Amino acid sequence: MDDQLMTERLVDAQDIKITARGVQVYYGEKHALKDVDVDILTNTVTAFIGPSGCGKSTFLRCLNRMNDTVSIARVEGDIRIDGEDIYDSRVDPVQLRAKVGMVFQKPNPFPKSIYDNVAYGPKIHGLARTKADLDTIVEESLRKAALWNEVKDRLKESGTGLSGGQQQRLCIARAIATGPEVLLMDEPCSALDPIATAQVEELIDELRAKFSVVIVTHSMQQAARVSQQTAFFHLGNLVEYGNTSKIFTNPDDPRTESYITGRIG
Amino acid sequence: MTDATAAATPQSPAKPATSLLQQTERMKKRNAAETRFKYYGVVAICVSLSVLFIMLWTIFSDGVSAFRQATFSFPVTLDAERLDPNGNRQRDEMMRVTTIGYTGLLNDNLIAYLTERGISTEGVSDREIAAFISRDTPARLRRMVIEDPSLLGQTIPFEGYATGRVDGYLKGRVTRAIAELDVNISPAQLDLADRMVDDGLLSLKFNWGFLTNPDASDQRPEASGLGVAMIGSAYMMLLVALMVLPLGVSASIYLEEFAPKNRWTDLIEVNISNLAAVPSIVYGILGLAIFINFAQFPQSSPLVGALVLTLMTLPTIIIATRAAIRAVPPSIRDAAMGVGASKMQVVFHHVLPLAAPGILTGTILGLASALGETAPLLLIGMVAFVANYPAGPFDGGIFDPATALPVQVYSWASRADPAFIERSAGAIIVLLAFLLIMNILAIVLRRRFERRW
Repeated sequence: MDDQLMTERLVDAQDIKITARGVQVYYGEKHALKDVDVDILTNTVTAFIGPSGCGKSTFLRCLNRMNDTVSIARVEGDIRIDGEDIYDSRVDPVQLRAKVGMVFQKPNPFPKSIYDNVAYGPKIHGLARTKADLDTIVEESLRKAALWNEVKDRLKESGTGLSGGQQQRLCIARAIATGPEVLLMDEPCSALDPIATAQVEELIDELRAKFSVVIVTHSMQQAARVSQQTAFFHLGNLVEYGNTSKIFTNPDDPRTESYITGRIG
Repeated sequence: MTDATAAATPQSPAKPATSLLQQTERMKKRNAAETRFKYYGVVAICVSLSVLFIMLWTIFSDGVSAFRQATFSFPVTLDAERLDPNGNRQRDEMMRVTTIGYTGLLNDNLIAYLTERGISTEGVSDREIAAFISRDTPARLRRMVIEDPSLLGQTIPFEGYATGRVDGYLKGRVTRAIAELDVNISPAQLDLADRMVDDGLLSLKFNWGFLTNPDASDQRPEASGLGVAMIGSAYMMLLVALMVLPLGVSASIYLEEFAPKNRWTDLIEVNISNLAAVPSIVYGILGLAIFINFAQFPQSSPLVGALVLTLMTLPTIIIATRAAIRAVPPSIRDAAMGVGASKMQVVFHHVLPLAAPGILTGTILGLASALGETAPLLLIGMVAFVANYPAGPFDGGIFDPATALPVQVYSWASRADPAFIERSAGAIIVLLAFLLIMNILAIVLRRRFERRW
């Protein structure tokens, strides 16, 4: 691994976007996430790595309260975005999700046109007053998602007719169209081929300029390639969190080292 | 474990050398079982197809003739002296001439026509000639004249039904051997009927009256039709669709998307499944008790029928709708939720449009089963003899007595005159045609709205 490259990509802005303290998640009787403390920085890509079932996706879904939709899930602890407790009873999860966008593991475009896919979020949040505004938002989002050139002539065609990689970028465009401040990505490349993966990774690096990106990934190479901060989860515990280059080259915890070198997982 | 097996286990049996070109015994057995199983399936399908074929064959061979009717067509001179004795064309005074007066007039005209055409009436009395004309026919002529008095004094071409026996003879149902024993018709009359057919006076014509007429009494099977039954069924289907769709869909959405999963919703779920299995006649008793005895809605009305059928189809539609909603992939819900859609928006913008084909199919199939339902309607008095058309749907027609297609089938099938058996089968054909249309509609809607994700 190229150490030189990593030092270049060191985090420049150190503002904290999200603070999580003592987060516990229970699925019924199962204690899925144990006492997690994390600070997620602005304009940074943070990668969550760890073996399957370690709680990294669970934690990701806490950040925009998607766990609310799971009736048996119970979240304890304190998660703040810009100092505001998102589990406060006054917070409407719907409003939160406009601020914290999400991209899922499997590309899941709506069975509507490409245009409607991207325009849906701005429409329901009333972000565009006129059709022209909406057109602008759609174009900008598709451009940011590096999809505009491929689809600009067929915006009226169904989003489900695109290839897998295009669908995933469409989902990213849809997520950023609502103007979120944080973008959560749950294994966004696991259903994509290497070329599409490379495109999405490049995109993630560009998105960092505007958003805080949190990405869950099973691929350690991917985490090393795209992220500045990395958190390693194991059996529901946050084992280690820190600078990506440090985690991958000189981890403090022996468990992190054995996972990265492929001995556990 | 015995020593024998203990000794046997460690040694794996020597594997005989096999050739791929030759099937082993075991393989042959497995293939034979597979072939047998395939034939069982083919046999089962053949049996059900042949039963279906026999059923359709009997229905159609009995029922198609109901769509044709032996009809007289001859000129009738409307004698003003007889039909309007006072000569002032006053409606009230013309009403005093009853159907009997018109019967006499028609009979005289028929006999005069027979004489004029030189058709021999040998061996048939004038009374027997009069018996050719359906009792419904003079009444129809009377209505015509009272509505339009200017016809008086004219000679008009007139078409009227022949009686059920003559109709049956033309269709081959009544034979001379039967006529010998029948007090209502004699072989001599049948000979006369043959001569009338040769002359063109009497012929089988397409029977629009079967589709439009109301029911008729036992003495006039030839005049009975499905008009009231079709209107009643149409009103009920309309009302059922209007009530069952909003109720069923909102109940399903609530249970599927909003309701907490607890003991109460489990109980509701189990009971919905149970209600779907309750015999339909039980809903009839329920309707009788609640809608007629308690709420005092009018008996035999399409409104009560529709309420009962709504209760009956609701569980089926809820089950179908919930299945359709559940079939929408959760990834779509996640996606919508992820961009900040509220629960309502997720349901109405994404889940419902995707579930719509399933919901529509379920609803139409539920309606089709309601259309064919008889038992609950018997209990709320829809089996009554209804000779008057209900009013229009917005003029309180849903409160007027009516009957329904399957009930009409039932009531005709239980009448004595064999002419009603034919009509009963004819009504089944009409009912089947409606069911076929609804099922085709369901398929078309499903194809049209089906979307991939």
